[in-house]
Amino acid sequence: MPLERREFLKLASLVAAGATVSACTPVYRMLGEAFDGPTPWLVGDGLTFRALQRMTYGPTLTERQHAATIGLQSWVEEQLAPASIVDLPGELAVRPLTSLSLEAVDLAAWERDDVVAELQRGALLRRVSSRRQLYEVVVEFWTDHFNISIEKGACWFLKTIDDRQVIRRHALGNFRDLLWASAHSPAMLVYLDNQANDRSAPNENYARELLELHTLGVDGGYTQQDVMEMARCLTGWTVRDRFWKGQFVFRPEMHDDGPKRVLRKVIEPAGQAEAEGVLDGLAAHPATARRLARKLVRRFLQLAPSDEEVLVQRAAATFTSSGGEILPMVRLILLDGVLQAPSGLSPKFKRPVHVVASALRMLGAVTHGGGPLQGHLARMGQPLFEWPTPDGPPDDPAAWQTGLFARWEFAYQLARNRIDGTEIDLPSLLETAGAAGPGETFDALANIVLGAPLGDPARREILRVLSKEAEDEAPALFLAGLLASPAFQWR
Amino acid sequence: MTSEVGCETCRWVVPSAVAGFPAWMPRLAFRPVAQGARGDVLLVVFLRGAADCLNVVVPHGEPAYYRLRPSLSIPRPDDRQAPSARRAVDLDGFFGVHPALAPLLPAWQAGHWAIVHACGAPDESRSHFQAMELMERGLTDLHGPASGWISRHLASFDTGNVSPLRAVGIGEQVQRSLRGVVPASALQSIADYHLGGDTDSTARLQAALASLYGGDDPLSQVGRETLSVLETLSALEAAGYRPRPEALYPESDFGMGLRQVAALIRADVGLEAAAIDVGGWDTHFGQGGSEGLMAGLLADLGQGLSALHADLVDRIDDLTVVVMTEFGRRAVENASLGTDHGHGGAMFVLGGGVEGGRVHTLWPGLEDGQLFGPGDLAVTIDYRDVLAEICRLRLNNPSVEAIFPDYSPVFRGIVRPRG
Repeated sequence: MPLERREFLKLASLVAAGATVSACTPVYRMLGEAFDGPTPWLVGDGLTFRALQRMTYGPTLTERQHAATIGLQSWVEEQLAPASIVDLPGELAVRPLTSLSLEAVDLAAWERDDVVAELQRGALLRRVSSRRQLYEVVVEFWTDHFNISIEKGACWFLKTIDDRQVIRRHALGNFRDLLWASAHSPAMLVYLDNQANDRSAPNENYARELLELHTLGVDGGYTQQDVMEMARCLTGWTVRDRFWKGQFVFRPEMHDDGPKRVLRKVIEPAGQAEAEGVLDGLAAHPATARRLARKLVRRFLQLAPSDEEVLVQRAAATFTSSGGEILPMVRLILLDGVLQAPSGLSPKFKRPVHVVASALRMLGAVTHGGGPLQGHLARMGQPLFEWPTPDGPPDDPAAWQTGLFARWEFAYQLARNRIDGTEIDLPSLLETAGAAGPGETFDALANIVLGAPLGDPARREILRVLSKEAEDEAPALFLAGLLASPAFQWR
Repeated sequence: MTSEVGCETCRWVVPSAVAGFPAWMPRLAFRPVAQGARGDVLLVVFLRGAADCLNVVVPHGEPAYYRLRPSLSIPRPDDRQAPSARRAVDLDGFFGVHPALAPLLPAWQAGHWAIVHACGAPDESRSHFQAMELMERGLTDLHGPASGWISRHLASFDTGNVSPLRAVGIGEQVQRSLRGVVPASALQSIADYHLGGDTDSTARLQAALASLYGGDDPLSQVGRETLSVLETLSALEAAGYRPRPEALYPESDFGMGLRQVAALIRADVGLEAAAIDVGGWDTHFGQGGSEGLMAGLLADLGQGLSALHADLVDRIDDLTVVVMTEFGRRAVENASLGTDHGHGGAMFVLGGGVEGGRVHTLWPGLEDGQLFGPGDLAVTIDYRDVLAEICRLRLNNPSVEAIFPDYSPVFRGIVRPRG
């Protein structure tokens, strides 16, 4: 579909906004003396950069400037209303990916590889390009929470529907609606085998993960008996495989009509409504509130246990008193957590997708999001939508800190423009920054990707080592070193 | 030294990494309690997702097995109604192995393959994630040390080995069991472990990285480790690795991973412990019997282990391989031709020092009243009995209490003391 003129005009204004980067030019020239203390050339203080690191996939210079201008609090409120943010870059980036808006029955006729590639590219492109950064961060959170691997059965095309109708639709909505949508999602029912859950000998897979991972948590007070009874409630929840292929269907002939008891509550025979009643109870359960609050707090913050406990309790209380609304809980964690972290913002280790997305965003890369880029993500250990187990890729930094090599490889290849379909324009970046000579070049690049120039003696030492490179090759090697540095691995 | 890197971003990284994060990367909490000569190379293969051990090592002498599994059971070795390729391969008149494991039988006949059955952990959560966390940390409950059990073995036993490849996790990240105070390296492929590009510029980048990762924090340690692995492996890659011709590694991730392990062992670069994962065992649906989903997984496992056995047969007396899984699966099959989460499972131990050609078990039976909980195989041998015996007798570590602090293992005669 061709762009409408109105959209062109909007786009043009966005491009103009991007050009304000050049307003930073004079400040780059002051870098020489600015290593200690507040950096006068940076719009906003270090906290702004760090806070934005938590709430975005790596802030661009434009975003840093915008947040510094309107204040972080206003920035959060702006981001919490994603529908009111004009997002041409995000929309344009995924517009060529036509499969993202198709229905299951049409997708099933596509080539598997094409559907999967568009799903993976779409997710990465949105994280890189969308101006609704916080929304995308929360979308990723729920994608992990309700993890589905496209490697399982028909999930290769059903996940596209789940992504659109479950995760993206309800990401900042009500958790009960999100949980309902997920439980009725064909992709989830296939992924966790509930599509084959028959009364003759129930399949416990989905029932267990629903209790253990999606709601109460392993210590949430349920028993093996509850798992088995919940599995009975869910018998007959399945997916059509002929007419209306890929649609949810409840099949009474597969359903166990006997009385059941889940979490000490008697469930009267009511067909599909049995499990739905339990879903409502699970969504409103205090253990669910605590579990979701803790996971969300950890997604944004790395806190000392006592500080974390306080914030988790408040977030859970907000969640419960709002009737399971996600947005107020996120708002509380951001305003009272990220913006006023009790002991300063401790760093969080970037997961691979954050490494890739932040490098591309901060450097203004032009990318189609596919091919080798996804291969880099896989080698770093986080291929999109391919985490095999229902716990989703971990948030725990310890799980990611043992493999650095693939991150270095990505840094080196990206900096030298050796990733097909992805390009950074280093000369223009440096020209915009007005950087001349190795020192200024190095500092300008450090400011872009680390938020501040690197201090001595590391700066001096690295300049000495890397400046031996031929003059036109040096900036790429500077950038590779910065992207591979310990500092870039944190947000 | 708290900070080589002094940028604003790093200043708040490094001190907190040193002071504030002991929970996720413990600082050296205890010094090695013993010193000595290194023993076998340990390779731990973890079957992720809870393998259905009753269909791996089939109790064909149990009538209840066939009653509980009308569709999924593996036919008896003498079942004339089934084609011979679908029958269990008899081991001792009571147990047999799944026919897809047939390639591994030479190891059984050579006495290099022992099976432990009805073993596992006390945890009853039937949660993959809790069970794996506990098992890889070697603990009864989550209050114990945060490090993995293999890491505690390495930390408590000083072999004088300073190789960056002392401990290797095959894959993108290092397995939980290897995480802790002794650095372990994640390795996907020796051949691809280089930055690409011309050697001049990669050498300069590596020099810069050595300086950037000069700090005292855990990530800097990983960085330095990665640099020295890069150096070691580039020399290795130049030499190339050729398995023995009879070692036919499957073209799977598992086969390729085992090949890397064999290459490291053959190159004598100081490897003491390696871990590798095989996924896909959570067979709630469409598990299959003699053929099908799980048969495919077992074929990969059997061919891989068989190739490793053939490849390293001249070094088999210095190798112990353990195959384990977080728990077994329900004895009764479900209606979707699969099995749900159970309790007791099985382990393999392979190597020159095992009491092989035997199924080591205190078999609890599968009849009513013998099953555990909702109908699961009971655990009669704790998995730590097996691991502790290996650590003590094959790896020479005298202090198994440092490895399994909240458990007193019972040795079961599964391996012989190292000569």
